[in-house]
Amino acid sequence: MLSLQRWLVWGIVFLGCVVTGSSTGWAEIRETSVWWLPRNVSNFGHEIDFIFYVILWLTGITAVLVFGTMIYFIVKYRHRAGVGAIHSHGNNTLEIVWTTIPVFIFLALAIYGNEMWARMRMETPPADALQVAIVGEQFGWNLRYPGPDGKLAKMDSHKITKENPFGIDPADPDGQDDFTTYNDMVIPVGKAVRLHLGSKDVIHSFYVPEFRLYQDMVPGRVYDFVWFKTDATGHFQLACNQLCGQGHYKMFGKLGVVPQEEYDLWAKGKAPAASTASTAAAPQNLSVANR
Amino acid sequence: MSTAALSHADTQGHHDHHEATGWKKYLWSLDHKIIGLQYLFSSLLFLFIGGGLALLLRWQLAFPSTQVMPDGNVGNPLSLAFINPQFYNALFTMHATVMVFLVVMPVLIGAFGNYLIPLKIGCGDMAFPLINELSYWVWLASGFIMLSGFFVAGGAAASGWTAYAPLSTVGAYNASSMGQSLWAIGLFINGLASIMGAFNYITTIVNMRAPGMGFFRMPLAVWALFITAFLLLLAVPVLSAAGAMLVLDLNFGTNFFNPAKGGQPLLWQHLFWFFGHPEVYIMILPAMGMVSDILSVNSRKPVFGYRAMVYAMIAIGFLGFVVWGHHMFVSGMNLVLSAAFGVSTMVIAVPSAIKTFNWLGTIWGGAIRFNTAMLNALAFVAMFVIGGFSGIFMASTPVNIFVHHTYFIVAHFHYVLFGGSIFAMFAAIYFWYPKMFGRLMNETLGKIHFALTFIFFNLCFFPMHNVGLGGMMRRIADPTVYEHLRALQPINQFITISAIALGFSQIIFLYNFFRSLRHGQPAGQNPWEATTLEWTVGSPPGHGNFAVTPTVYRGAYDYSVPGHPRDFIMQTEPPAPDQPSDSPSRLRPVPAG
Repeated sequence: MLSLQRWLVWGIVFLGCVVTGSSTGWAEIRETSVWWLPRNVSNFGHEIDFIFYVILWLTGITAVLVFGTMIYFIVKYRHRAGVGAIHSHGNNTLEIVWTTIPVFIFLALAIYGNEMWARMRMETPPADALQVAIVGEQFGWNLRYPGPDGKLAKMDSHKITKENPFGIDPADPDGQDDFTTYNDMVIPVGKAVRLHLGSKDVIHSFYVPEFRLYQDMVPGRVYDFVWFKTDATGHFQLACNQLCGQGHYKMFGKLGVVPQEEYDLWAKGKAPAASTASTAAAPQNLSVANR
Repeated sequence: MSTAALSHADTQGHHDHHEATGWKKYLWSLDHKIIGLQYLFSSLLFLFIGGGLALLLRWQLAFPSTQVMPDGNVGNPLSLAFINPQFYNALFTMHATVMVFLVVMPVLIGAFGNYLIPLKIGCGDMAFPLINELSYWVWLASGFIMLSGFFVAGGAAASGWTAYAPLSTVGAYNASSMGQSLWAIGLFINGLASIMGAFNYITTIVNMRAPGMGFFRMPLAVWALFITAFLLLLAVPVLSAAGAMLVLDLNFGTNFFNPAKGGQPLLWQHLFWFFGHPEVYIMILPAMGMVSDILSVNSRKPVFGYRAMVYAMIAIGFLGFVVWGHHMFVSGMNLVLSAAFGVSTMVIAVPSAIKTFNWLGTIWGGAIRFNTAMLNALAFVAMFVIGGFSGIFMASTPVNIFVHHTYFIVAHFHYVLFGGSIFAMFAAIYFWYPKMFGRLMNETLGKIHFALTFIFFNLCFFPMHNVGLGGMMRRIADPTVYEHLRALQPINQFITISAIALGFSQIIFLYNFFRSLRHGQPAGQNPWEATTLEWTVGSPPGHGNFAVTPTVYRGAYDYSVPGHPRDFIMQTEPPAPDQPSDSPSRLRPVPAG
């Protein structure tokens, strides 16, 4: 057993070296604890965090009770010479009690969660929301923003092709002033944002932990029910969180939440999609430098 | 085999096969016990293959070969250069595939199901011995077909064990079309083995119980395997169909799942999870059943709430078929449907809670013997509770929007599958090893193995909750490319080192297992002083199991009955004339065969 102990000691030493060695230099990147949730900047994120903590307290207290009982029983009822076990086949009252209580707790959690789910996902997003179309592809993000008219060209999932990632009609009047970006998302703080999510090839997913937001983007469909509002500025990363192939691990884009003025300035600097499209052979000149 | 004289005993009058001899006995025996051991040894081999894959992928996560170092060089100095992102994807895909289809299912259902069912219900063999043996060889072939993917052009399947379409169904997207096809073909064949096993178990349990072995006298392990067999029979064909469709899409120009040609990617998810969620219970129900028995024996107490336990398992079996959508809350399927699946998922937590309370009730008031089997069984309960708790977070539709597909879910299912099924597997091996091989495993080594496994398991998997909440996605080959994950890298390295320690702790188990085959203390017929039928015959039992078909007079858990000289009464022991130990109606022997 000596060699075992030696292995353990060396293991712990190695562990200490690695952990202290590699944490230097990276610690400043994250302002919140590495052991816990990142900061949250979205309206629904606060509600999600709240229900998260409700469940955490509920399970935490139950865990203390269950493990406390278990340890107590293990110690108290350990085998001792001359002390036999009691003979019991169970207790129907207890069975009813510990069936009924969980039923009510779990149903309450389900109803509570679904009320929030319905508000987040099934109500019509605010009419004044900024519309942003996002179409994933192996391995990057196509984004399309409305121009001054505030309207995006209509997306048709069946028209999405390599050359036409957003599946729009080039003649759509709403789309003439739209502009597009690649791997670069900027949104104004405090304004509702409604996403139109699609995919060119395989399933991708829109995932921003600081928004507490995950949504798959399935080819052949356009999802327009996701919306949210941010309440603080910051720079984040838009990550793909659905395995999408070899390059999945590095499919991310910049995501800036900026003051409205900064957003307006940024948007003004972008050329309308229609003007670039007219010079290109393809209806939309978007499939640039992504492979 | 000391009880060879028993081999001619034809206890049920149905099995006309004879004991094979020599090497034939271990390669082509129709004896359920040999088939059980074949499953056990093969899946232990696969366990170490699957574990090796896990260590490789953990190594890449701690020390990525793609990491850009502060000095601008690519590749962590400690990294393994051969793990590129595509190979990494293949590693986690095959790790999960091996562990689910070649380890947990075959150990719990193939090995212990085969070994224990006839012995525990008092019959000589399975109803269909030839199909039983066929099922083993078909299963083994499926394993080699799946693993052969590593040696073909493009490498093994790399689209996750869930193989979401259209990544899995279009060669241009996954770049491992051949490996993916082999994966699906292997899965199809694996499904055939499961189906053969399942109807064999059901037929055996329904028809071949010994006289007096009513359904409600069966040990919970048999009940669990009985219910599991129904789940297999109903769920696995759906996966087989989906796998066949995947192969057709990949190779023969069909477009079931390809939206570019009118197919539906979400159809794959519905088919996969319609299998995949019952599958979760397929992998835990047998563990629950065996742990219930081990807890009862070692507490010297009847299982608390035996009938409640049975009903809870039946409830899990039914509800298990109506919760698959909780894997798809954020897939974009109908939003009302998500809400409905959220409710059914919360409801299925209730029978699991009932089982946990009854396990606590079982050890309450006991005289607990802390042998290695019992320690592993208690660890099963504790780890299953943690895995259940983390499941509640994901069952809540809003919280799922945040934690879906992060390391939080990785932590969750490892607590259920490793903390649950694998600890139960260890408990079952330590417990039934003396019956299988006639010798006890070494208790000291067993306890060291248990302690190290328990500690490193928790050090390895608990922090995954934290990195998941911290925003770490699963299935990414290199977390250091993300700004918000770089700070978590020390935790990832900690997890990797714990995983390695966990892996190497298993060497003690292997050493103990193989050493005890020859050098273990002779076990005798009933080393644990248990009541069920397998402990009434020799260790190992001879061909045909029982010299005379046993008659069962009582339930499986008569421990510490007041007024009895010993603290256990065998199921075969008739009630004393002045002492009606069971109600008259339940005493009536049940016709067998």
